[in-house]
Amino acid sequence: MMLRNPFTKALWDARRAILGWGMGIGYVAVMYTAFYPSISKPAFASALQNYPEGLKKAFNIQDMTSPAGYLGSYVFGLLVPVLLAVFMIIFGSRAIAGDEEAGTLDLVLAHPVSRPRLLLSRLAGLATAVLFACAVVYLLLLAIAGPTKTSAVGAGHLAAMTVQLALFGMLFGALTLGVGAATGRRSAAVGAGVVVVVFGYFGNNLAPQVHGLGWVQRLSPFYWYLAGKPLVNGLDLAGCAVLLAVAVVLAAAGLVRFRRRDLAV
Amino acid sequence: MADLAIHTEQLTKMYGKRRGLAGLDLSVDTGEVYGFLGPNGAGKTTTIRILLDLIRPTSGRVELLGGDPRRDGVALRRRIGYLPGDFIVDGKQTVTELLTYLGNLRGGIPRERVTTLAGRLDLDLSAKIRSLSKGNRQKVGVVQAFMHQPELLILDEPTSGLDPLLQQTFLDMVREARTAGQTVFMSSHVMSEVQQTADRVGIVREGVLVAVERVEDLRERGVRRVEIHFEDPVTVEEFAGLPGVSDVTLTADVLRCRLDGRADPLVKAAAKHTVIGLLSEEPDLEELFVTYYRGAPDDAA
Repeated sequence: MMLRNPFTKALWDARRAILGWGMGIGYVAVMYTAFYPSISKPAFASALQNYPEGLKKAFNIQDMTSPAGYLGSYVFGLLVPVLLAVFMIIFGSRAIAGDEEAGTLDLVLAHPVSRPRLLLSRLAGLATAVLFACAVVYLLLLAIAGPTKTSAVGAGHLAAMTVQLALFGMLFGALTLGVGAATGRRSAAVGAGVVVVVFGYFGNNLAPQVHGLGWVQRLSPFYWYLAGKPLVNGLDLAGCAVLLAVAVVLAAAGLVRFRRRDLAV
Repeated sequence: MADLAIHTEQLTKMYGKRRGLAGLDLSVDTGEVYGFLGPNGAGKTTTIRILLDLIRPTSGRVELLGGDPRRDGVALRRRIGYLPGDFIVDGKQTVTELLTYLGNLRGGIPRERVTTLAGRLDLDLSAKIRSLSKGNRQKVGVVQAFMHQPELLILDEPTSGLDPLLQQTFLDMVREARTAGQTVFMSSHVMSEVQQTADRVGIVREGVLVAVERVEDLRERGVRRVEIHFEDPVTVEEFAGLPGVSDVTLTADVLRCRLDGRADPLVKAAAKHTVIGLLSEEPDLEELFVTYYRGAPDDAA
């Protein structure tokens, strides 16, 4: 029964969004992967050779001819993680701040539900949504690996990439949930999420090209998500640990403030 | 303090520089119906939200069912039913879905209990919340507050939006709750809403409790209009000078007057004649209440 507790209720209420975003992100991943056979042709590869190095780095286009290089830059390098981040920003900012602004949080917390329990339930809802979207991406890409000539990546490395993607998405869920829980304002949560996506993306791709700004890259979630090249090297434990730790810290910081503050009317 | 359901001492709440409560001392006995009266902005909702631990006091002490709302919040809220002043819930669900969920948060509620309450209030359980009128939404709020038969009911302006017939049904439910030993703490800005059920009323103004009265006492002191029909003509003079009697008018053999306080002198004077009929209106406690609103004159009544 989906009406049993705040966790299942959150999933039930968001069932269409979770399905829709999961399928949508999976669809985008499939579409981009389907282009691989035409891009991997020698003519295309030599055309890319002539692109300035800086431009290629800025757009995460480097090794385009191998399936791992292509998937890493086109599929997992930009659109899929950004879409997942946007999904988490919307879902995470709604989780507490959105309900509080709508006025529905009061009644639930007037029941025998503690604030930590509510926040953790909502966080678990976000995690479930992320896992669903990542599972869809993984299973679809695995299913089309043959026809799209990307099977050289292997199921294991694809799984590693998807795990890093899930943690990357979870970071944005924890960020927006945490900011929303701390402030009670949805706009603040969305703003924080958008700033981290935009600055994170450019920080990872452009900062290393500016002399002396290389360290900025390490502030970006994109760096910890992609730098270990999980499609080539398998799971990057350091990257996973950083993403997970930051997510935990953000959610915990949000909880500390959420427990203490007054709920808005 | 086990016999107090709610007890606060010098409770204050500041919203930045704005005053919410300015030292509220409140005592609600276990098993009584307590009307918490005050104009809008006096601090009624602030008090209630502190009791439910939705907001935290700036200073002062709160004790609720022998516990601390902050420390024992979850355990205490299990024993409380709460109807918010604005009952806002997600409109996409049906009434049954919402009530099932809220019931589950309390560990499950027998289904008959919900259907019985809904039947009494004439509430359609299969309707989507979104499609309900304000009054029907309020009924959902009433059901969820009462359905688990809590020890303490905290009701913030419970009858707003209910039509007169349903207000009566609601007041019956409050009386039954008292009979069952439940404590009811209900806020309102109109006396008439609480005077029918409350044992006591507390009047809050600008964040402090300015008066606590037994409704019976108020009734005794309240101003009422009285009409007496006599068989034979009487004179105005016989009645005009009586204590508490004013505005005496006499048309043929019908005497009309205002009675402030006890009825005894008037009744004794009337008893010297043959009385055919006697009509006494319910005292207008609103009037007493408004004097408190305006800045209580000490013991004027």
